[in-house]
This record gives sequence, structure tokens and C-alpha cells, in this order.
Amino acid sequence: MAMKSRASVIVLIALVASFSTFSANADSSRIIDLRLSGANQIEIDATLYIPAKVPAPAILLAHGFGGDKSSVKPQAVELQKAGYVVLAWTARGFGKSSGEISMNSPTGEVADTRKLIDYLSTRAEVEQQKKGDPLIGITGDSYGGAISLLTAGYDPRIDAVAADITWNNLVRAFFPQNSDDQSQTGPYKRIWAGTFFAIATLQNALLGDCGTFTKQWCAAFKRAVATGTPTPSEIELMNLSSPSSVADKISAPTLLMQGEADSLFTLAESTATAQAIVRAHPQTPISLIWHGGGHDGGLDESQRLWAATRDWFDIYLKKENKVFPKFQITNTNGSISLTDSSVIPKFMVSDQLPFQSSSLSIPLTTPFIAVVAPIGGIPGAISSLPGLGSAISLAGGAAAFLPGQSGFLESGPLTKPISIVGGSRVRVKVTSNSSDATLFFSLVVRTASGQTKQPNGIVSPTHLTNLKSAGSEFTITLPSVVVDAQVGDKLAVAVSSTDQGFSMPQDGRMYTVSVISPLTVPVLKFKSQIKRSTFFVWPISAGIVLIFSILFAYIRRPRHSNAPRDQSDALVAVTNLSKVYKDGYQAVSDISFHVERGQVLGLLGPNGAGKTTILRMIMGLIFPTNGEISIDGKPIYPGSPTLANLGSFVEGAGFLPHLSGRENLHLYWKSIGRTDEPFFDEAVAITDLGTALDKKVRSYSQGMRQRLAIAQAMLGLPDLLVLDEPTNGLDPQQIKAMREVLKNYAKTGRTVIVSSHLLSEVEQTCTHVVLMHRGKLVAFGPMKQILAGKGKPAANLEEIFISLIGNDLTIGKEVG
Amino acid sequence: MMYQASKTLPYRVEMYRQIKRKRTLFSYLFVISLPVIVALAVKFGTSGKSTGPTRFGSGTADLIGLATNGAANFTATMFYFATPFLLVAVISIFNGDTVASEASWSTLRYLLAAPVPRIRLLVQKLKVSLTLSGIGIILLSATSWAVGTITFGLAPLQTPLGATFHNGVAISRLFIVAIYLSISLLAVAGLAFYLSVATDVPLGAVGGAIGIMILSNILDAITGLGAIRNWLPTHYSFSWFDAMAPSIDWTAMIRGASYSLILFFILISLAMVKFAKKDVTS
Repeated sequence: MAMKSRASVIVLIALVASFSTFSANADSSRIIDLRLSGANQIEIDATLYIPAKVPAPAILLAHGFGGDKSSVKPQAVELQKAGYVVLAWTARGFGKSSGEISMNSPTGEVADTRKLIDYLSTRAEVEQQKKGDPLIGITGDSYGGAISLLTAGYDPRIDAVAADITWNNLVRAFFPQNSDDQSQTGPYKRIWAGTFFAIATLQNALLGDCGTFTKQWCAAFKRAVATGTPTPSEIELMNLSSPSSVADKISAPTLLMQGEADSLFTLAESTATAQAIVRAHPQTPISLIWHGGGHDGGLDESQRLWAATRDWFDIYLKKENKVFPKFQITNTNGSISLTDSSVIPKFMVSDQLPFQSSSLSIPLTTPFIAVVAPIGGIPGAISSLPGLGSAISLAGGAAAFLPGQSGFLESGPLTKPISIVGGSRVRVKVTSNSSDATLFFSLVVRTASGQTKQPNGIVSPTHLTNLKSAGSEFTITLPSVVVDAQVGDKLAVAVSSTDQGFSMPQDGRMYTVSVISPLTVPVLKFKSQIKRSTFFVWPISAGIVLIFSILFAYIRRPRHSNAPRDQSDALVAVTNLSKVYKDGYQAVSDISFHVERGQVLGLLGPNGAGKTTILRMIMGLIFPTNGEISIDGKPIYPGSPTLANLGSFVEGAGFLPHLSGRENLHLYWKSIGRTDEPFFDEAVAITDLGTALDKKVRSYSQGMRQRLAIAQAMLGLPDLLVLDEPTNGLDPQQIKAMREVLKNYAKTGRTVIVSSHLLSEVEQTCTHVVLMHRGKLVAFGPMKQILAGKGKPAANLEEIFISLIGNDLTIGKEVG
Repeated sequence: MMYQASKTLPYRVEMYRQIKRKRTLFSYLFVISLPVIVALAVKFGTSGKSTGPTRFGSGTADLIGLATNGAANFTATMFYFATPFLLVAVISIFNGDTVASEASWSTLRYLLAAPVPRIRLLVQKLKVSLTLSGIGIILLSATSWAVGTITFGLAPLQTPLGATFHNGVAISRLFIVAIYLSISLLAVAGLAFYLSVATDVPLGAVGGAIGIMILSNILDAITGLGAIRNWLPTHYSFSWFDAMAPSIDWTAMIRGASYSLILFFILISLAMVKFAKKDVTS
């Protein structure tokens, strides 16, 4: 290579002076604007992004058509952060670079880019493999993708390439011919070509109708518009600007990305480039990504593609060990987000490239169709529009297939689902009332419900010539697509005589198209790219959480010893019992007493003395702060089996309001785990409810509920009955009856604990008394003994009580 | 004295206690009324059978427009309607009310003093509340299918993406949806149950669970929150839509189901520990 010209690289102006010395440790990251010399005295406007750590591999970052170096700044900054020196430049004919657009010609833009490589070989920040050969990658989209591939073809110093949505061959892109007869170019892609050309010429109207295009290119465009057919020299011109001309010389690892929503540079462009590279250099690493975006819009996957590009350079420039799939596709045929109606793409990977697929033959059952191309080409179908995408999605499909101008060569209903990735082929016989035919073929899926899906509105135009009057046979390559078809769907080759995106005969045509061969569809082995790990990581995580939840519950459960405590014959022993509630309220402090069988113990004290708290602890509802309770020598804790020996009524009745009193009693009995005799009749007799027993508890008065609750407490005649203010809400007769019930209950050798704030009440029922005040035990003993007092016998409990505590009715006490 | 802890609060008894409640009846009426009301509205409303084209590639989910296709589509649409609120509400009622209502009726302390061991009480209650929740989902499916058949007849299931599933496949897809819904709603059940243990006010537990789910739905709609949304309990509530795709992608459903189970396990174990250590004062 011309070492001399490389050595002659001059940095014209460095807007920001570069530092002459730098250390590997210091953060050297900075951005430098430069004006560099290109080929033929062209000035190239460029920006150099230097990463924190140098020397580093360099990346040439090219912009798309109509852009300039600033359009790639976000990606440049990202690559800089990833540790690359990035050189972004404005191509000749654009922005602040001088020169004219020659569509990435070898002597124009490609020569410029090679000068940039020369420049990078002089920068100390760029890792050099040997003198004049920097470690370098090149990437870009569309126009920038083509320069990437072309430069890699012309300059062996390129070490890795990543090109997105670009062309393989400009002739095929603008004059697509999808029949096997390639003797003629296909219909001129006029809307796209016009749009493309306008991007450059409309930069500055003062430059005239050719804008910054070279004369050659401007003339070629004018002729294409006029005739729809390029001359051989124009074909040569376009071929020179096409990666297809140098693809066999590309030996650098190449990542090719192409958009499914791209009617300008279709998916087949990437396949052609990949195929040429693989054929010439089978060992060259090649990967393909077919994403949901493209020149028509579609899904914005730029973040993912940037990441893929970065990975590609990490592997082939930094020699990092990363896995990169051979072929990735985005399937937009999957599900839809119900929150914002956006397509949820599915990412699939394959170990095969599209041209390495096997194929499947699907017979087409429609024998033939006839279509007319109207005189003047109006009305004409619209399959897709530049920048807007598939017309079928824009206009509900009405414009894509016009009656009389289109027909479908259909298969029978599919018997199994199929995923088509790539271009299908079909052989057809075409007749025309002229010697030529311009037809637009596409692969569509027709669902059982009658919808026609034309993936992304992509068509395969053909310009068929030298037709015999009896018709001629052609093999048609249908558009490369990514589409799924289901059982019951039909695949069809859609044939349209018009498409407004292309030049067409204006003098009217009548065609027939008949099926010669089955439809050949490509079949690739795909797997979902979504981390397969989801399939076991998540369920396993759930399993682990289950185990930990069980362990957590097991470890954190309260533990209770069941060891017998008390050797005395007391039924209930309360020892040093204290309770401080969470809010700091000390309801009970250091209380001890015991109850023996056959006793009726009265728990007496004013409201708030701690009576109910003690009963709750006896029932195992709340946890003592200190001390303990045992029944029959066994400790009491929540759920302790000893509690089955206890019947209780504390702080009011508790019943299911939607059930009758009787149902409540029965359900309660069935709920408490006892299998012996419930003594329903005895219990029911206590309720004194009569027929009201079969009414819903919701309708009961307080007294009725109270009696039902006491009956519930007595179900199964427990050894210990705990009753809290049992006579509240009862009328005098019922109170009297209740007294008898309690006395009789104790006579059977069972034990009753009754709490009350009515001293006289307890006086008449109880054999023993615990007097409480402010959570403390004031007196405990047999009723007679308490009444006897300290020497001087008292008339009643009330006197005793007042003498013991005075008139202090303060409730409880606060701790701390 | 014959006492066996394993015989306390038997499943059948708890089921009887709950099923006799008006709340259960009204919840089920609530569930049944959805397909009936929608069917009547569509049948006698102004818009007839959906004939408009379904867009392809532009991603409009026209599930509602497809509801009138037949029983299968109608059922799928009912699932779509019921997912964000109705099923959440019904499941919050069954699981949120169960312990808190016992506390509010004062029956809880008599059960515990019986004694029904605390963990057993929760297990038995959860078994019943989950059964009732499951019955709710079955009722929704069955009623939707029946109402759909009567109103619109039987027809293959058509998805907004243009796929068509015939009888057997359609039913299996709807079955998958119902199963997925049941599992993904376990997170709601777990939350409601935890709140039921944490409070003595049934309305607080039920309303709290519904409120948190609504909040989660709102947050999930704020795309600016980014990946944080992946950890919202309702983030995967519509993942069953993947079962409507031509080839089922299980990824989101596996994630969603697993995440729901994870939340369920955590909340239930927290509920158990909390209840086992709680001072029952109500």
C-alpha cells in the first residue's frame, strides 16, 4: 500500500490541541474536533473521542445519508465510555466537509476513509498492531454501513466491521429484479430513490437540482426518473459503490444488521453480503441480526443494536470472551402489550445463516390468477411508504391489494404451524398481452378469519421480458420476511400488477400467473433467545423462597415447653405473672394465686384492674411478659392441648352473625377438636333461648348472646370454666339463675373462675377471691377468710375492698 | 377429655362457616354479573359484530372488538376485563376478610382458646379462602363460556394478531389462561391474607389489598420507572396474553407465576410468624 501518501497525512487544524503526554493511569477521556484531509484535497470534518484508558482500539463511526458527524454523537460517547477511541466524521458532500457525494465510491468516500485510518495510525492513543496499522473497527447505519463494508473490502487494516440497514448492491436496491432471469434490471424504485436523492439536494436549494451530488450521479438519477432503466455505465457506477463488488475481499469479522421494516434495503441485502463473504473466506466470523426496525420505521431497537455492535468489537478488537449468536431475529409477530398496545418483540437465535437453511415444499392449490395493470397505472397499490412502513398497517390493508389488480396463489390450510425466516421461492408461468410483464410478488399469510398479513409491506418486484405468447416460466424469489403461520392459516403468493412505489408500464397490461412448482419456504432451526434460564431460574427461585419461608416460619415460631411444672394439686396455678402490653401499659404485675378443684374463684377489682388480662393469659390469647400459668400442672401457651379442658367467656360473646345460635354451637363444637360428649342439651338449657335458638345470631339481644356464649363455654363440660363479667346485661332473674348454674357446676368437682367488678355479685357466688387493683394482687384467699379481715369482721366485700385500697380508682399504671 | 389438634376447625366446617356468608354469595354474583352485563350490553347495544380489520404490525390489541366472535373470544375478553380489578377484588375479599372478620366478630379468641393451634387456624382458613377464590375463577370462566355460547354461539378463538384456534386448542389456551390467572393472583391472595392477620378490621385488609394492587397498576403504567416495574406485583398480570399467541412464549408467564408464588410464600410465612406471636386482644 502507498506508505508515502499515508505518511503525508496532515492534521490541518486541531481545534482543541491534543496533549502531547499522557499517563495510562490518568483519565485521558476527552473529545477533540478536527479537520482532516481526505482524498483529492477534500477536507473532512471529524471528531475524535478519546476514552479514559489509552492506548485503546479505535472505531470509525460513519453517519447515515443526510446526517453528519454530530448525528452519531450518542453512539460515539457510548463507545468512548466502553473504552474505544472513536473517530466520527462527516462524509464528503455533507455538513462541514467539502467535496461532492459520490455514493461511497472507491475513489471518493472510500479513499477518504482510508486517509482517516492513516490518521489514526499516527495517534498515540490508538492501539497499533504494527507501524501504520492501527487496531481498528468500522461501523455505521445505512450510508454509513455501506462505507463500513466498502472500506473493509478495500483496506485490509480494518479488523472488525458492523454494518446496519445498508445495501449489498445499489442496482438491486433501486432496480429490484426478483426473477431468475437477470438479463434486465427490475422496476425502478422511484419513491424511495426520489426520497433518497432529495435528502442530499434539499440541504441547500442554492446548490441547484443536483445538490452536492457529483455530476455522474445526478445524471444517473435524472435518467432513471425518465426511463426507469439504467445504462450499462450507470450499472457499473452503482456496482462500484456497492459492497457486492468487494465482499469477497472482506476478511475482517463482520456483523451485518438489517431491518425487517425496510422496503429500501431489504433483508435479502444482508444475506447477499454474508453469503459473498462466507464463500470467499469461510473462516471469517460472520453474524447476522434481523431486527424490527429499518428505513420504514418499525421497532426502535437501536439500544440493543448498539450493544450488539459493542459486543462485536469487544470480541474482535479487545479479544474479550463473549458469546455472540450466529443469527438473531426479532419476531414482531408475537404478542402485544395490553398496556400501551406496543408490539412485544420476541428474540430468536439460530446457529445457521439464512442461506444455510433447509427448505420445505408447500403445494399451492390455486391454479392460476389473472390481473390487469390499468392504463396509466392508476389506481395503483401501495405496499409501503418511505419512513411510514407497511401500507397494510396504515390503511387497514385496503391499498395493498386492489381488486382486479391482485390475486393470491394459495396453499391449502396448514396442518402444522410454520415459522418462515428468509425468502421463499416459487416457479410460475406468466402470460402477458405484451412481450413483458411487471409484477409485484409477496408472501402473505391468510388467516382462517379472512385477514391477509403481508409482513411489513415488503414486495418482490419483477420485470419479466421476452415473454412467449403461450407464457414463459420464471422462478420468483419472494421477499425475505420473518413471519409465523398457524394451523388453519393459508400461505399465499400475492401477485399485484401495480405498486406506486415503482415505475410501471403505463399502456395497460393483462397478465395471467399460473403455478408451476410448489412454494419453497426456508426453514431454519430457531430457538428463543430469551434467556432459557428463565425457565428454571424463576421456578427454582420460587422453590427456594418456599423453603426459606417455611424455615423462617419454623425458626421464628414461639417455642413452648410442655414439661409439667407444678406438683401441687391445684388445678390452676398462676405464678409471678406480669403483662406489659406493646404500648407500654402494664396491666398485670407479679401476680400469683392458685385455684383448686371445686372452687369458684372470684377475680375482683375495679375496671382496669387487670382481670381480663389475666383471663386472656389463662386462655393462651396473649403472652405473659413474665411468670407462668399452668392448668393441671401443665403450662399454658397458645394452642396448648391443656386448653381443651377450659371453657371460656371473655369480653363478650363471639358468634358468626349469619348463622343461628344452634348452628353456632354445633360448628363451635366441631371446630374445637374434641371427640367426646358435647352435652348440648345441658348447654342449650342454660341459654334459655327457646325457639330463638334457630334464629340468626345477628337478631339477638346482648343478653341472649351472653347466655349463648356461656352455653358455648360449657359445651362438653370442661373442667375449668373461665367467665368474664358473666352477669353483665342479664336481668335479675337470669342473674339469679346464673348463680345457681355456677354453684352447681362447681359442685360436680369442676372449677369456675369468674371475674367481676360487682363485689356483691361475687360475694354470693364465690368460694375464693382474688382482689386486684391496678394490676396488683391486693388480697387472695377463701371468701370467709377475706370477709373475716384483719381481726375485725366486715359486713361485705365492698368494705374490705375500700379498706384495702382506699378510694383510689386509678386504672393500672404506666411502666417507664 | 378427648382432644386432637388435627381435628380442630376441619376444612368442611370452615367451608360451611364461610360459604353461608352473604359476602360469598355477593362476590360470586359480582363475578357472574360481568359476562352477563357485557353480553347484554353488546347484544342490545348499538355496535354490532366487529368487522373492522385487525391491524398487523402496528400492534393494536383489539380483543374487545373480537369478543362477539363466539364463546371462546367472549371468555378471553372477560378474562381481560376481570384481570385488573374484578378478580383482584374478589380474591382480596375472600383472603383479606377471612381472619379479620373472625376478629371483628370476636369468634377468633374462642377458636384460639378451644384451642385451634394458631398455625393450623391459618392453614385451614387459607385452604378455604383459596378454594373460594378458585371457585370464583372457575365461575367466571364457566359463566363467560355459557353466556358467550348462548349469545354469540360457538366459534374458533380469534386473537387480535390474526391467529385462529379451533375448539380443542381454544379450550386448552383458555384453560392455560385460567390456570395462569389463578397462580398470578396468589400474590394478591397472599397480600390480603397477610393484611387480614395484621388488622382486626376486615375492610382494612380487603381495601388495603385492593388499594395496593391498584397502586401497583398505576405505577406499572408509568414507563419512566423502567425496570423497577418488573418487581411490581401486578407487572405480569396480563402475561397470560402470551397464551393467545400462535406459539406460546412461556417466558413472561413463568416469570410472572414464579414471582407471584414467591410473593405468596413470603407473605404467608410473614403472616404465620406474625399471628403465632401476636397478642390476640380483639
